[in-house]
Amino acid sequence: MEINKSNSNNKTFKETLLNGFKSGLNTTWILAKIIIPVYFFITILKYTGILKWLSLKLAPAMGIFGLPGEAALVLVLGNGINIYAALGAVASLTLSAKQITIVAVMLSFSHSLFTETAVAKKTGISVVIVLFIRLSLAISSGIILNLVI
Amino acid sequence: MDIISILSEGLINGMKAVFTIAKIVIPLMIVMEILKDYKVIDKISKLLKPISSLLGISKNSTFPLVIGLILGLSYGAGVIIKEAKEGELSKKDLYLLIIFLVACHSVIEDTLLFVAIGANGWFLITIRIIIAIILTVLVSKFIGKYLDEENIKKFTT
Repeated sequence: MEINKSNSNNKTFKETLLNGFKSGLNTTWILAKIIIPVYFFITILKYTGILKWLSLKLAPAMGIFGLPGEAALVLVLGNGINIYAALGAVASLTLSAKQITIVAVMLSFSHSLFTETAVAKKTGISVVIVLFIRLSLAISSGIILNLVI
Repeated sequence: MDIISILSEGLINGMKAVFTIAKIVIPLMIVMEILKDYKVIDKISKLLKPISSLLGISKNSTFPLVIGLILGLSYGAGVIIKEAKEGELSKKDLYLLIIFLVACHSVIEDTLLFVAIGANGWFLITIRIIIAIILTVLVSKFIGKYLDEENIKKFTT
């Protein structure tokens, strides 16, 4: 995969467009190679019941965020699958305005972990760092918001 | 659900996601190439200089930062991978950019999704950006000096 170094001086507009198109295809291909396998994985995960099991295990811990136990499913789906899956699960719960804020802040720091971590890893940063940053931001913001609002 | 339909659902979802990405990434890269060849990126980067100096990143990093912040992590990472391959980003830039972006990206779409369920959008967006800035500045102060000199020469894919 070769990307020509831009040589701004003597390039026609057509060459610029073509180079842009090529690097667009190239980047799409790089991302596709990451995203397709991850989507297979999360689709299988969705049907295994592992996420349901994990949310049952995490339910007792929801108290530290001021959330009902059932909200564990929202957080697990948001992190394991994506925000859309989490929002689907929110619809089945009755949450107060404070609880909605807490869920939204926690999920905005940490969501779609499989897909996004795989993409971030491609830039060369370690998976452990990415997960540590996102989960600790989500957990600490959840705890703090529950105390202060 | 049998295994075949699960696998085909996975494939369809994956293809849909890639198609969505292609629709954005290809025009994005064309626009970027034009901006770069006509020296507009230099001007934008100069304009965003306060942001890059605050975060401790080079001015080449501001473009991928803005793309990731607005469009999303995959797009930001796509630009980062491309720029890193062209040797325009140092290792420090790369780390700080990704650290900022994993904490805070796709602010418009994500925020609107939560607004739809009744969250306060301004609160969400503000808290996310502020926390990401604090985190990046802290990391920049602590590990910045170790990464300063190393430049990424060969970027493997």
